[in-house]
Amino acid sequence: MSMENGNGSMRRKKWNFLQGNKEVNNNNNGSSAISVRGVYSMMLSNINEEDERDVVRLCRADPTDFPCFRTTQDAPHAIAEAVESFRFNSYAPSGGLFQARRAVADLVSSDFPYKLSPENVFLTVGCTEAINIITTVLARPGANILLPRPGYPQYQARAAFCRLEVRYFDLLPDRGWELDLDSLEALADDNTVAMVLINPSNPCGNVFTYHHLKKVAETAKKLGIFIISDEVYAHLTFGSKPYVAMGAFASIVPIITLGSLSKRWVVPGWRLGWIVTCDPHGILQDIGIVTNIKTYLDITSNPPTFVQAAVPQILEKTKDDFYTKNLNIMKEAAEILYDRCKEIPCLTCPHKPEGTMTAMLKINFSKIEGIVDDVDFCVKLAKEESVVLLPGETVGLKNWIRITYVVDPSALKEGLSRIKSFSLRHAIQLP
Amino acid sequence: MEKWKFQGNQGLKSSAVSVRGVFNVLMQSISKEKEVVHLCRVDPTDNPLFSVDPVAAHAVSTAVHSGNFNCYPPTFGLPQARRAIGEYLSRDLPNKLSAEDIYVTDGATQAIDIILPVFATPGANIILPRPGYPQYETRAALCGLEVRHFDLLPNSSWEVDIDSLEALADDKTMAMVLISPSNPCGNVFTYQHLKRVAETARKLGMFVISDEVYAHIAFGCNPFVPMGVFSSIVPVITLGSISKRWIIPGWRFGWIATCDPHGIFQKTGIAANIESYMEITNDPPTFMQAAIPEILERTNDEFYSKNLDITREAANALYERFKEIPSLICPHKPDGAMAVMVQINLSQIEGIADDVDFCVKLAKEESLLILPGVIVGLKNWLRVSFGLERSAIEEGLNRLKAFCLRHAKMSQQISA
Repeated sequence: MSMENGNGSMRRKKWNFLQGNKEVNNNNNGSSAISVRGVYSMMLSNINEEDERDVVRLCRADPTDFPCFRTTQDAPHAIAEAVESFRFNSYAPSGGLFQARRAVADLVSSDFPYKLSPENVFLTVGCTEAINIITTVLARPGANILLPRPGYPQYQARAAFCRLEVRYFDLLPDRGWELDLDSLEALADDNTVAMVLINPSNPCGNVFTYHHLKKVAETAKKLGIFIISDEVYAHLTFGSKPYVAMGAFASIVPIITLGSLSKRWVVPGWRLGWIVTCDPHGILQDIGIVTNIKTYLDITSNPPTFVQAAVPQILEKTKDDFYTKNLNIMKEAAEILYDRCKEIPCLTCPHKPEGTMTAMLKINFSKIEGIVDDVDFCVKLAKEESVVLLPGETVGLKNWIRITYVVDPSALKEGLSRIKSFSLRHAIQLP
Repeated sequence: MEKWKFQGNQGLKSSAVSVRGVFNVLMQSISKEKEVVHLCRVDPTDNPLFSVDPVAAHAVSTAVHSGNFNCYPPTFGLPQARRAIGEYLSRDLPNKLSAEDIYVTDGATQAIDIILPVFATPGANIILPRPGYPQYETRAALCGLEVRHFDLLPNSSWEVDIDSLEALADDKTMAMVLISPSNPCGNVFTYQHLKRVAETARKLGMFVISDEVYAHIAFGCNPFVPMGVFSSIVPVITLGSISKRWIIPGWRFGWIATCDPHGIFQKTGIAANIESYMEITNDPPTFMQAAIPEILERTNDEFYSKNLDITREAANALYERFKEIPSLICPHKPDGAMAVMVQINLSQIEGIADDVDFCVKLAKEESLLILPGVIVGLKNWLRVSFGLERSAIEEGLNRLKAFCLRHAKMSQQISA
């Protein structure tokens, strides 16, 4: 590409940069750099500006739009206090401030048969960075990692970027979204380094039982792979099944737990997460993973020191009624979703949500016409009804929908009622 | 017991060099007999004399208390933060920057982490300064980007060796990096010299990445000139942060700015690449981004000039004290940034093999921490930080002088 320029006497040369790094670009297959927020922006761009109704956003798991979901009163105080003290303006140590690591260790291992130490905890810029770090640490030529389908697109986006092969095992809608352990075993080979589990499950909204998680741990051990347990929705359960942390099984197989403040404390914008190595037999230490995590943390950025400084207060001083109140709202919203979905002919909810903030709904194309697939469904819904959903393709299940129900209950009802109108409008006309 | 299949990212093992990593190794050598003096890290919070800006803390407090910024931030940054950074940088530029030219990052560290992979096509190379900042080499290794080094010339005020630039570049050279003002050398490049660098880059078909994390930390005769001033000659990617000028490295807030009046980044696809990668990278907290307009617009000049005076005084004190140590040569009086390069004259010392050995023994014998120059690309030099209060510098230099005397060759000792 030649450049025009006012100074005619200089030898002109074309720019050496041509196309850029393919792994960084969205490629035509869409297999890299897909993110929920990217798809969300795309859906928003389809909203009809002339529709005077409020947009109902059931796409991202970010409840902060709604006044009924607020963080605790004390959490902002903890941050303000830390920043105004001027004691936290320096670089933090690369694993994180000791007191923050200790607080996370205590939180995560509160129900474990063994205690975690602060040295098992590494603070990250949200769970997003925790995912980025762990995929980078595992990546080497020829290695592969097992991911759930449906799952969370950051894993494959990041794996594509660092050239770590991904393989998918299924979660079974007819079995409450439990893992298909046979498909898991069939996928693993000598180059499989780890599997990822999202527990409780995003996007499915189910909570795994103790019994099932134990089986998963035993299967992983048999295959010689360890488990990355993404517990960003830890403790956000409101059904009959209690939350069970995967780290409880760490004496069977090493567990790397990921988590953050974002969901339970309703502050996704604060970008504070963690990686925790649950490994009483020290296997992760022996094979070098812990060293690699530390090495990579030495060269990447960290959460602001003053946010780290506020972590102990947030984790330890938040009152139980804050948690209970939020869980009650979420439970009510889940009920609304499940009940009203039965009235929408083209959508099926195979499993009543028990936790997290999202659920998967199947589209019955036999009941509608003029709609090609899940993306088309969501685009048309945004255009016609100003309701934003996430196409299931984004999370690995084409022709399904991921719906976020942790929104203001009246907004949820409004949204579901518009989806019902939409489905009736597109219903197959009987002769 | 099944064997575990994990082996790990080999790139991480070989690129484990980092300023913080070596710092840890030195920390393990240190003797605690005396109070430790750190002339090693450029963390300005080490100097209690630097005033911290209450405007900044208050802006963050207000933002977090409002409850309006607990949501996920938009991919490239909050619009008000991007606009404020664009305006702030444009104060010193002939071609004004808009919000769309700004991408918000988690400190300048993350700015480097984002921009290098964007250039890493198969066979591509990038030219880095020597001495430089090891984050660049480490990140380049991790994304498979070949690195070549041009020299900064100690006997010419650490200016760029333009001939070495021309000799190194080829058709696959995507860009060059310049750290301006210079870490680790402590010099401020002149307008004329930067213009020459821009023209050379243009001739060679490569872009310029200008790492301006020490922007405005210029306390000598040469004023700070942002590389973006020459963006109509060559497109410039400017990296910056609030860490050094506001004395808040722990806040982790920075930016990538594309200075490109001819729209070349759009045409060649760089802008699209940056934007695509940022979809899957982290962000600074939303409330921090919300505080940026106030921090950039309301900090008063007195705050900046007071801290600059303190830095100037510390740099001058350091330079004067070096004159008293014959086995150390400081070729250029520092006039910017927060560190300076000093050469070890090994012919005047005995019992010390190289710069690493020098620093390890120094840590053991004198509880004084200095960074070995090999880390920044110059073996047998030292990188000495002056972001400390005057008394700490004097104490540090006293110990350094004692150490050098103790290890001086016999003939030197007699004449000293």
